[in-house]
Amino acid sequence: MSFEHDHSHDAFPDEALPEGSVVDGAELARDIDEAFDFVVVGTGAAGAVAAHTLARAGFSVAMLEEGPWVKTREFGDRVYEAFRRMYRDVGTQVLEGHSYIPLIQGRCVGGSTVMNSAIAHRTPEDVLGQWDADFGLGAHVSASTLEPHFDALERELNAHAVADDVLGENNRIFLDEAAKDGLPARKMHRYERNCRGSGRCVTGCPNGAKQGMNVSYVPWALSLGARLFASCRVERVTIEHGKATGVLAHATGDGARSKGRTVRLRARRGVLVAASTIQTPNVLRRSGLRSRALGEHFSCHPGYGVGGVFDNPVTMSFGATQGAESTHLRKSDRIKLETIGMPPELAAVRIPGIGGELMRRMGTFANVAVWAVVVRSEAEGTVRQGWGGRDRVKLSLTTRDVERTRNGTAILARMMFEAGAREVWPGIFGLPAVLTSIDQVRLIEEAPADSRLFSFITTHLFGAARMGPTPEGSVVGPDFQAHEARGLYVVDSSVFPTNLGVNPQHSIMGMSRLAATRIAEAARRTAAA
Amino acid sequence: MKLTSLETRWAEAALGAIFPGSSDVGLTDIRAMDMRGFLDQVLHAVPTQAAIGLRVAVWIVALAPIFLLGRFATIVGLTQPDRERLVATLVASRSYAVRSLVLILKTIGALLYAGDDAVRARMLVASHAGTMVPLRLGRGRAA
Repeated sequence: MSFEHDHSHDAFPDEALPEGSVVDGAELARDIDEAFDFVVVGTGAAGAVAAHTLARAGFSVAMLEEGPWVKTREFGDRVYEAFRRMYRDVGTQVLEGHSYIPLIQGRCVGGSTVMNSAIAHRTPEDVLGQWDADFGLGAHVSASTLEPHFDALERELNAHAVADDVLGENNRIFLDEAAKDGLPARKMHRYERNCRGSGRCVTGCPNGAKQGMNVSYVPWALSLGARLFASCRVERVTIEHGKATGVLAHATGDGARSKGRTVRLRARRGVLVAASTIQTPNVLRRSGLRSRALGEHFSCHPGYGVGGVFDNPVTMSFGATQGAESTHLRKSDRIKLETIGMPPELAAVRIPGIGGELMRRMGTFANVAVWAVVVRSEAEGTVRQGWGGRDRVKLSLTTRDVERTRNGTAILARMMFEAGAREVWPGIFGLPAVLTSIDQVRLIEEAPADSRLFSFITTHLFGAARMGPTPEGSVVGPDFQAHEARGLYVVDSSVFPTNLGVNPQHSIMGMSRLAATRIAEAARRTAAA
Repeated sequence: MKLTSLETRWAEAALGAIFPGSSDVGLTDIRAMDMRGFLDQVLHAVPTQAAIGLRVAVWIVALAPIFLLGRFATIVGLTQPDRERLVATLVASRSYAVRSLVLILKTIGALLYAGDDAVRARMLVASHAGTMVPLRLGRGRAA
């Protein structure tokens, strides 16, 4: 299999690709019109896995990606450059609601897997139970149907606990303190091969160690004969007589040659949309779908970071960007506690103060640890298309979501003080910017539960093209096929009926692999008949 | 979208107030960096909505002396300590819109400032307990 790639030689998996397998829309000199068995929209966790699964089953597959393919050798360590080249809207997307919450998404080959921390969590069984009880999905999506796919993904992407030699201080302090406090915690399980602890997950792994889709399922699919059309934005799925027949896309990028070029890919057997929770509903809307559930029930996992200054160096620039976590409070309090190593640019935004005060604190950055609370929020929002064709996402956190965040923040602040922090930076508006004793943690506990007082950020996105048995309350059926169009499948986290409470990449890939396997089996049966 | 020359001067003054550098800490002044070029790049790259937000933030900071200090001056007309106090006051504003917009300036500035080789190198050098930040209990608000 292609995933048994030889990692000992010098070439990264995103180099030495099959001749002609990649079309760069930014350099396109002519319009394109080609036909494939399947067309897959998106190359993130869902799209790449689906494309690989279909290609391995022997079908001809085209992948479309709106962003460019930034190669491993091109990854730098500057956040702005990464934002500009690989993040959607240069990292300026926000959730609009009672407060504005920054929303981070990848826009490049590999999608958000290029800049996430590659954390592997199987879908919790209680969540799958809820999907069965509330949405009637148990016969189709369950722990047993997903298990072989999770097994395969973990094997192929080499998911395992962070090794001691790249754990780093930020993660080690968290684990030591959790053990002292009796809080169950563990080293994160991540998809990586030979991680060197560069601490640069956010700007793309410079060593090709993190097994993002850009160095795994995308090149593996290409090696099986699939083709990739990068820098091509999908305008719509073409639907004729109630059946998806292909995709119409436009070349993106500033190149004069490519301006206005169209890419028309016809699909003989089906179109799989995996453009992400925010882009998928709008692609479907532009394609003529009118389901009342489309764009509804959007949910996420808002995160909130807390900084602590220690006497000894923490040096977040070395070690797994995210390497330690506790899911102990996931079910009872809907929160997950974890570490997050921050690059200097992002840390500087959250370091308290202005002017001389900020400068003095920036001088302590190497002694700073950052931990975070991630909330399985109850709030639901909407995804719409705004003016100029922009994606518009609205969501207001509930009071209980904020209370849970506040409680998690207090737990982390207490842990930091107990671990020896001299200062804790809670970042809650209205509180002292700097806490200096554990007694002050009560100030966090007493803070008003108002989302405008907290600096949230969100990355995990769900819903907005929900799966369900009937067209009244859902966009796709349990077979991942749109209720309104045959041969049109949605295989990303937009079909998830709820959020999860754990990092979603594994669930997204597992669901996508399950979907693509079933779609391939159905296509084979049709061909045989 | 591009800032006008006047807006650029205001933005440079605001960023200079946020990231003035410190010889004690060994951090460079942001005014030694190409702020104008960076702001042009950012405004060219980001979506219109974000560019408008940045522009509004610049205007808020620029004209704040009139509303906050009762002085008929822009931020450019203030001394460095007054500029710092002005921006700190705005970031601590009770108005969510005002403090959020001004934080955009801190965010953009951080991308330039902490992306600088010398600043990064200094930030990644560990401090020792004896050189920790002097405590200013109860004075600051989260920025």
